[in-house]
Amino acid sequence: MIRTIIIDDEPLAAGLVQEFLADFPQFEVLEICQDGFQGMKAIQKHKPELVFLDVQMPKITGFEMLELLDAPPAVIFTTAFDQYALKAFDAKAMDYLLKPFSQARFKQAIDRFLESREKESPAEPSDPELNQLAEKSNRLVVRVKNDIKIIPVAEVNFFEAEDDYVTIHTSAGKYLKKMTMKVLEESLDTGKFARVHRSFIINLNGITGIEPYERDSYLVKLRGGEQIPVSKTGYSRLRQVLGL
Amino acid sequence: MAWKSSPINDIKTNQTTITLLFNAFSNPKLGRWIIPGTGVIWFLGCFLLLKRYGLDTEIAAADSLVFGLVLVGGMIVLDQTFNYFLPKKENLGQIIGVPLILSTAGVLVHHYLLSWWYTDELEYLAFLQDTSYLRMGMLLPIELLLALLALVVAKLEGQEQLSKREAQMLQLSKDAELAQLRQQLQPHFLFNSLNSINALVGTQPQKAREMVLQLSEFLRGTIRKDPQRWISLQEELNYLKMYLDIERVRFGHRLIVEFQVEEESETVTLPQLLIQPLVENAIKHGLYGMTGEVRIAVAGKLESNYLMLEVSNPFDPESTSAEGTGFGLSSVARRLFLLFGRTDLLESGAHGAQFKVKLKIPQFQ
Repeated sequence: MIRTIIIDDEPLAAGLVQEFLADFPQFEVLEICQDGFQGMKAIQKHKPELVFLDVQMPKITGFEMLELLDAPPAVIFTTAFDQYALKAFDAKAMDYLLKPFSQARFKQAIDRFLESREKESPAEPSDPELNQLAEKSNRLVVRVKNDIKIIPVAEVNFFEAEDDYVTIHTSAGKYLKKMTMKVLEESLDTGKFARVHRSFIINLNGITGIEPYERDSYLVKLRGGEQIPVSKTGYSRLRQVLGL
Repeated sequence: MAWKSSPINDIKTNQTTITLLFNAFSNPKLGRWIIPGTGVIWFLGCFLLLKRYGLDTEIAAADSLVFGLVLVGGMIVLDQTFNYFLPKKENLGQIIGVPLILSTAGVLVHHYLLSWWYTDELEYLAFLQDTSYLRMGMLLPIELLLALLALVVAKLEGQEQLSKREAQMLQLSKDAELAQLRQQLQPHFLFNSLNSINALVGTQPQKAREMVLQLSEFLRGTIRKDPQRWISLQEELNYLKMYLDIERVRFGHRLIVEFQVEEESETVTLPQLLIQPLVENAIKHGLYGMTGEVRIAVAGKLESNYLMLEVSNPFDPESTSAEGTGFGLSSVARRLFLLFGRTDLLESGAHGAQFKVKLKIPQFQ
């Protein structure tokens, strides 16, 4: 049996996927979830092979949910928005079903999944770099143990790189998210954040002072009292955005 | 003369002062008489002046007539020159040059013509000789002034045409933008509804049929023949209910909508499809943003010269910070600005766990 989960906030839409899937007896629908929170928990619990995923949903989007998973399952997106197709492709989606879709088109998606399943099992862990398409966003979704936290980007004081992860420092606490600095930097508003160091991106709003440190390097003081090292290129970038 | 480079605003102040004259010049009925009229007045003025100098009536008349004709000729030349040919900055000298040549030529023609005609009137010839510099002194400033005026009028005419074209283009783009803003709310709603119908066809065909009808009614409303026409609040609310019926099919019984609309305000009119995006926005943040039951309230009442509408929905402060005011609100704000030229008609904000949008629609009657 192929373990499957359907995530869609519209019961009718989820019902349709289930109905179409009934033609393929090898699939077993373990749970139907109505939002990304539930979806994430169900995926962690059932470890499904295939997920049918809507994009626009309550609380967090389908993409945000995928970001939170360490080993995302194969995904077939089902959405009425065609503008996510590229992003879905980057997220290594198995297929992208545009609502409303026909039974024939649905079968095609299933065939594609079955084909790739035969070829390469188990599913290769996806490259986080490719998994996250930089998109301007004003919030970050992180996982705190088994819960999900949504952090408005404006509340972030600074980001610190740690191997494959980024530590998000806010006044309320710090959070770990699996992503690269490069992707993060591209997703942030250049007028509000600046990468001042290989491992640091700071919120320009929180700067209280800049002072020279060693030769060719500086320290930025933030409102919270933190001192962030600034590299030579980081300093020139900072001068540029601050208009010094 | 920096007409070309000066912004329209600067011109406006000058414009008012010259508007009267400009109107006279550009009015074909009046404008036709300006040149001959000036000629006649000039002729009469000169005639009376020459009479006072003690000239013979016949000679005074002939002198004034020729002088008047010289002026009229000069005016015609200036008018033609500066109306059709607007000197660029580098050859603005022509504004002085052309009147200078014209007035010199005019005085010379006048002088030789009259001295040829009245060869025997020695006293007059001496007078003519004496006054030629004076005549030059009279003719030159007047022709200079005329050249300037002709130039200004031509410029203003060009400006007027330009601003007319600009206004037309602005109106066109405004219409296009309004049409686009009205339509932008459709696609995903439409496709999601079609998907619901797709699902219903298999399991509950009767309900699918019902939804096809609801959706058709709704779409008919969005492509009304006359999108500019204002409709009554009641009409808009009916339309809204249609939209909500469809959403209710999609989301089941999670969606509850309360209407609190004063009866007297139901006949009040408003631009089409202004409330629907607000409710759509409320649904987006209330229904799509939360799980469980969602209660959306729509209230309407008349207050002095405004129709006041309020749409409120519960929201999750945590996840709604994501999209802030959202596209729905900004598109309504933009439409209000295009329609009324005001930015203070739409207010929104969170009150605890409720998000409220207040819309004011001016009533002109």
